Amino acid sequence: MIRLGNVLVSPGEGGVYGERTLDGYRVWDPHRSKLAALYMLGGGVDLTPGMKVLYLGAANGTTVSHVADYAGTVYAVEFAPRPMQDLIEVARRRRNIVPIMADANRPEEYALFMEAVDLLYQDVAQPNQVEIAEKNLVFLRPGGHLILMLKTRSVDVRRDPAVVLEEARAGLERHLDIVDVRWLEPYHHDHAAIVCSRRR
Amino acid sequence: MLQRYWFGDVDEEGCRSAGTDPAALGERAATLRTGMESYVPIDWEVARDCGVVRTREEYVDLLRAVCIARARAKIAESYRARDVELLQMVRMLDELDNVINLLQERAAEWYQVTTPSFSRKYRSLPARKMLDLIRKGARGGLGDVADEIDRLTVTRTRLMREVSARADEVLPNTSALIGGLVAARLLSRAGGLPALARMPGSTIQVIGSEQALFSHLRGGTPPPKHGIIFQHRRVHNAPREVRGRVARVLAAKLAIAARLDYYRGEAVPEFIKEAQKKIDEAGVTA
Repeated sequence: MIRLGNVLVSPGEGGVYGERTLDGYRVWDPHRSKLAALYMLGGGVDLTPGMKVLYLGAANGTTVSHVADYAGTVYAVEFAPRPMQDLIEVARRRRNIVPIMADANRPEEYALFMEAVDLLYQDVAQPNQVEIAEKNLVFLRPGGHLILMLKTRSVDVRRDPAVVLEEARAGLERHLDIVDVRWLEPYHHDHAAIVCSRRR
Repeated sequence: MLQRYWFGDVDEEGCRSAGTDPAALGERAATLRTGMESYVPIDWEVARDCGVVRTREEYVDLLRAVCIARARAKIAESYRARDVELLQMVRMLDELDNVINLLQERAAEWYQVTTPSFSRKYRSLPARKMLDLIRKGARGGLGDVADEIDRLTVTRTRLMREVSARADEVLPNTSALIGGLVAARLLSRAGGLPALARMPGSTIQVIGSEQALFSHLRGGTPPPKHGIIFQHRRVHNAPREVRGRVARVLAAKLAIAARLDYYRGEAVPEFIKEAQKKIDEAGVTA
């Protein structure tokens, strides 16, 4: 991951969503992107050229565009039509993004297009986030990583975020090895990143 | 055994490419079903051995084009639903209300400082009358603004009729129970007909009174009896002691009506008649 001073950046053509540029690099703002926050906090899995990524909850494609700057191929899954329109626009300018309009809850809808990926990244505002991750593990190669951005408020607003995180962790531990768990403070509140690796 | 991929079919005899036209491949993909029991992700090299593509770049390019074509088709389909435009219409209507109120209030403030005789008692006039007063009395900028407000009001009334008519068409059963405008507002708050049709009656009852609901859930305050549905006359005209009951019965019937609207898409006279009767009965005080 490239940093200029203390600023996380990514190489690539700018002007995707009005991001700033610095010495020809695109600034990747940790306050906007949870993945950037995770890297700024010293966690995460480094993105390498040739890496295949399945990105669930791609939204408007802002974080996706940065991931695509580093990785080989990004399969970006988004369900809602509005953000999908923006995502398609991003994909038209980055040849390594495959935008898929489908529900991450129903992997059979896009299984047809998928190859095995090295990284499964998930950032969806759904109550059953762990279940969604489990369903999508079929696409993750053994030894590959899962980065789950747990939105504790989407699981249950009324419960303590720490309890929600503990439950999610226990759920994932059944199928995966937990590599790292951390909160995304001070960039994002009540969001935690869980990094796991799939057993070989 | 026959293996069906998005780019072609593979079996013992070899591979049959499905062509390289993204739109056609997208349509083909829509017809393929993938079983997840013995699922194995694709290896792009199968497509190369098939002769569909020569390099990985070509593979991703083609796949990307197919997925974009497919996504475009899906987006078009989701916007074709009549409820999507109705949603925007109601939100515009509510926004217009807001803007008109703000402008009117400001215009009254302005008028007051130019007209010493304009006292508090004029403030309680109906908006329409006060606006006429301002239009007659004011000149220059204020007069222009008052004219503009008047035009906005006309636009608003026309849009309201349109919303009402569209709601009758999109939500025939719900509209029959609470009127097109309130039905449309429910739709807007729910975020679409599919969402509204999946809501329980208890949610429909309090939708729009989230503040009261959450302050109740956090403890202490009494629960809200009604949200948006308060705008319906049978709720706000009901005597206080039965208002909660009317709201509850109405909401329960609305939940059924929304499902009829979504899954059948046409008015069901027997249901409407029966529901109207039940709702009216709920409003009778002992």
